[in-house]
Amino acid sequence: MIVTIEFLGTQRTLAGADSVEMPITKKSRVSDALEYVIDKYPQLKLDKDTALVVVNQQLASRDQVFKDKDTISFVPFISGG
Amino acid sequence: MEILKQIKYRPARVAGGYTDRLLRIDLTSREINIEKLAPDFKAKYTGGRGYALKLIWEGTTRDTRYDSPENILVMASGPLGNEPGFPGTGKFIVGTISPMTETFIDSNVGGHFGPLLKLAGFDALAVTGISKEEVIVLINGDAGTIAIAEAPRYDRATDDGALSYGDRLLKEVNDGQYSDCLAAVSAGRGALHARYGVTHSLFYDRRRHRIRSKQAGRGGTGTVMRAKKLKSIIVRSSLPKANGNNPVDKKGVRAAGRALKQVISKADPTQLHLSAWGTTILSEYMDKFHIFPVDNYQYGQSPDSSKLFAHVFLDNYFSHRLPDGCYYGCNLACAKGAENVELTRGPGAGRKVSVDGPEYETVGAVCCMGIFDPQYVMEYNWYCDQYGIDVISTGVTIAFFMECFERGYLTAEDTGYELKFGSISAADKCLHEIASGRGLGRVVGQGVARGKKWVAKKYAARNKASEDEVMAELNKFGMEVKGLEFSMYISKESLAQQGGYGFSLKGPQHDEAWLIFIDQVYQEIPTLEDKAAALKWFPLIRTWFNATGLCKLHWIDVRNPEASATPEPSKNLPTLAHYVDYLNATTGSHKSLQDILDDSERLYILQKLINLRQGKGTRSSDQIPLRAMAPAFFNEYQSRAEYYDRWLGQNRGSRKLPASPRQRHKLLIERRKREYQQLCDAVYEQKGFTANGIPRRETVARFGLLDEEARRLLDEMGV
Repeated sequence: MIVTIEFLGTQRTLAGADSVEMPITKKSRVSDALEYVIDKYPQLKLDKDTALVVVNQQLASRDQVFKDKDTISFVPFISGG
Repeated sequence: MEILKQIKYRPARVAGGYTDRLLRIDLTSREINIEKLAPDFKAKYTGGRGYALKLIWEGTTRDTRYDSPENILVMASGPLGNEPGFPGTGKFIVGTISPMTETFIDSNVGGHFGPLLKLAGFDALAVTGISKEEVIVLINGDAGTIAIAEAPRYDRATDDGALSYGDRLLKEVNDGQYSDCLAAVSAGRGALHARYGVTHSLFYDRRRHRIRSKQAGRGGTGTVMRAKKLKSIIVRSSLPKANGNNPVDKKGVRAAGRALKQVISKADPTQLHLSAWGTTILSEYMDKFHIFPVDNYQYGQSPDSSKLFAHVFLDNYFSHRLPDGCYYGCNLACAKGAENVELTRGPGAGRKVSVDGPEYETVGAVCCMGIFDPQYVMEYNWYCDQYGIDVISTGVTIAFFMECFERGYLTAEDTGYELKFGSISAADKCLHEIASGRGLGRVVGQGVARGKKWVAKKYAARNKASEDEVMAELNKFGMEVKGLEFSMYISKESLAQQGGYGFSLKGPQHDEAWLIFIDQVYQEIPTLEDKAAALKWFPLIRTWFNATGLCKLHWIDVRNPEASATPEPSKNLPTLAHYVDYLNATTGSHKSLQDILDDSERLYILQKLINLRQGKGTRSSDQIPLRAMAPAFFNEYQSRAEYYDRWLGQNRGSRKLPASPRQRHKLLIERRKREYQQLCDAVYEQKGFTANGIPRRETVARFGLLDEEARRLLDEMGV
């Protein structure tokens, strides 16, 4: 089973990739993906406590369990001009 | 240059952020007067938008139209504008009675004009009357002169362009040299023909060695300028900009500025990174969450959208490594620009030009016409600027006419050409026609609200149909409220943002409330009560920014890391605390955030009173097109059927969904319409309004606004 981690905006440049795939188990959670990205891509400077994580375009909690082929991304704070 | 009238004056010193002086210029009589403002004026109306509102409330009537001599064009910074020690202090307001909405409009704009106007001795400038000939105004704080002069003529290409004319003028009045002691506002030829002409704010950029422009873009302030036969205003002051406000507490200003700059430099690079990418970075996020206004807001995404993402502009157009602030001291510096862009279309084909932008809104306007060509974005940006027309209203109105053509409401005989989504040649032809007032452009230049009537008449006559019935159909997808076109975000999936657009006093521009992400994505305001409370709080704090001469982006688009530990992270209160400190240190006040919100509410209610007087203030004026709240047509529903069916399922409890997709679409529309009306009720209650959206008498009285005219108005409304 895998999830796809998408890099958006400036993250894409910093990570040097549009997306990466992360193998998961039936027990893998959002927090695992967050730790994976923080470890592999420190240049993104994601904050473990404050990063907003979106799974399949829905805001996800840290303890949400993944399903196979979920898509995960990290969204900055946007509040309009 | 022939001087028609000139006075001498001694510029008032700025103290605690204010000069307490208003410059009044009447172009009919050529009278120039300097008015000393009473001490309670600033206490009650703050500055910027507040000053514009008060002057227009008192100086115009319900019969005043944009081109009436008594209409006032107000330009005002605010007590916090003009401080390089604090980021984002170059903003000023251009306020007037709008050609689009026929009520008060204001647009905030960056650059040096507001700060220099203050250094030249004025908190605000109010222009009335209509000149016999085309004129310019020169405010020279160094020489102590204010003059009305005949507008110089150069060659036709220079004279017609808002950019080229202002650029030439700024050189001419300074012995052929650019200088950052000078700034200008200007309006172009497009503003003579379109209702959505912009006011440019032109300033010298020492790093780029050229004049740059920002725009007061919404609602036709440039059209008002040209209706007054005013082509440009130039202001000059050589006074030092540092500590230019002569704050009461200099150390306090420095400390607040330092604290906010630290937040920006630390947090922005890990968030949107506006300092590197500008606001084009938003395109990708809008597309990701179905908010990109593709094909007149029908679809929130397109497979072609990535052609308009930020990296495309960064890689191919933007000048790299230039801190692009629009005023000194801004470390967010989001005003990106490009040099040597070759025009491939239009009357300037073959020329190489400098482009200020694009901003997200320009990119959104181009995708609204179904176009995904970054080179066209650059050219559209430059031509709109040079003609002096609003990129948003231009794009949205062309997109509306494209959809009318595609749905059969218009024929090629009506338009003169195949006006289809995605056609660069058609969009470009229409753009140049708008600017010159020719062909279909003469109609498109009037905006969506007036365009709907024209289309309805044509279609009804051709098909022997009822004009009212045709209008009802056009109202579903004509993206305007109160006569102003929507800015570039799809609000269908965010009830809070539907309100953000519908209740916005100036019309659907997002600077009053942009709640899409905190509602739709972050889900921080889940209940109707939460949304109603946000629709009161955000417009008030945003009003304050527009009254004080400040840019909002540092607060709203860079989340302070400390905010996550607060009960309402979306308010970004730790950053707002720096603003409160800055205010108190500048003016010597002892205000709390609640005091600021109360000050803003007075201005908000005053604006509401103007809307009521001008016939745009009741519940009916807050209604939004069907497409702003739901998929208006079946094709839109089909494009996200799974999502909409899931939404319906979640909102109907255990009741079964209808079997037919068309029935589900109908049900969705009914549900969304009902929700919007429930939101109206909740928001009016929060704001102290009646169910018809009118402020209760006690609400008006609470802010000291129950003057004779307000009483008469409320009497008429039965409140």
